[in-house]
Amino acid sequence: MTENETSVVMLGPRDRLIGELYIEGNLRVSGTLEGQIEATGDVDVTEAATVKATVAGREVNVSGQVNGAVTASKKLVIGRSGSIVGDVRVPRLIMQDGASLSGNVSMGPKVAAEFAQAAAAEAAAPVEMAAEQPATDGETAQEKAKPKKR
Amino acid sequence: MDTQHAVADTAPLEAHEDGVESRRDGSNKITLGAGDYLEGKLTYNGHMSVQGQGQAQGEFRITGNFEVSNGATVKALIEGSNVTIKGDVEGMLTARDKLTLGKSAKLNGDVTVKRLQIEDGASFNGHVRMGSFEQSSGS
Repeated sequence: MTENETSVVMLGPRDRLIGELYIEGNLRVSGTLEGQIEATGDVDVTEAATVKATVAGREVNVSGQVNGAVTASKKLVIGRSGSIVGDVRVPRLIMQDGASLSGNVSMGPKVAAEFAQAAAAEAAAPVEMAAEQPATDGETAQEKAKPKKR
Repeated sequence: MDTQHAVADTAPLEAHEDGVESRRDGSNKITLGAGDYLEGKLTYNGHMSVQGQGQAQGEFRITGNFEVSNGATVKALIEGSNVTIKGDVEGMLTARDKLTLGKSAKLNGDVTVKRLQIEDGASFNGHVRMGSFEQSSGS
């Protein structure tokens, strides 16, 4: 998707970001992050990181603490020291022994199709349109993805 | 002791007696294979395994490990120590120790676990609750 120049944002252990971040590229967090982040590339949350934010990326790796919803358009890996408290929406999920997760998990072909649709919409429509589209689509699909039995 | 009776009462395994084997170490095991079908409530002091194209439906409370192999289908409330899923499972699931989803696993339902491992390729939809088992899992 981002064959052209990709930026990389790195937040060191003493760095802190509070607010909203959108980058066309990769993000690597070792510090504190609060708010909302979206990366078109990969997101790495290292062991030292504390994230209280909604996280969206292509491939998301979590080895630290994340408090917030996580969305990955390709896959999410939760390492053995990783912890997520929040809802997870991914086509593929890998969770290593020792990792911790509390929240709703939605995954599988349905979610993958939805991301593909969002990507297609993004390719066809201007950026602002594309930003709107997946949000509304996501809501309805999440309803369907919920287990019927309680 | 009671659980032994419960097994006899609730598990319609008459056609597959060889599936129930007593081990010398005292841990029992129920194995459902291809063509086997179990429906009902089972409280069992031992391990349970659904293999091949085996099917099971109902409510299974197992003191030992619960295993669903690739190709097997289970629609049930499941409670076990170590739960390993490589097949198709629908229902509420509690693993007192660890839940493992293999690459061919398909799980739909809410889970309460102490530890959770998910391999690439597994599919899971539901809510995850992790932590201690101080609260009764009946809720």
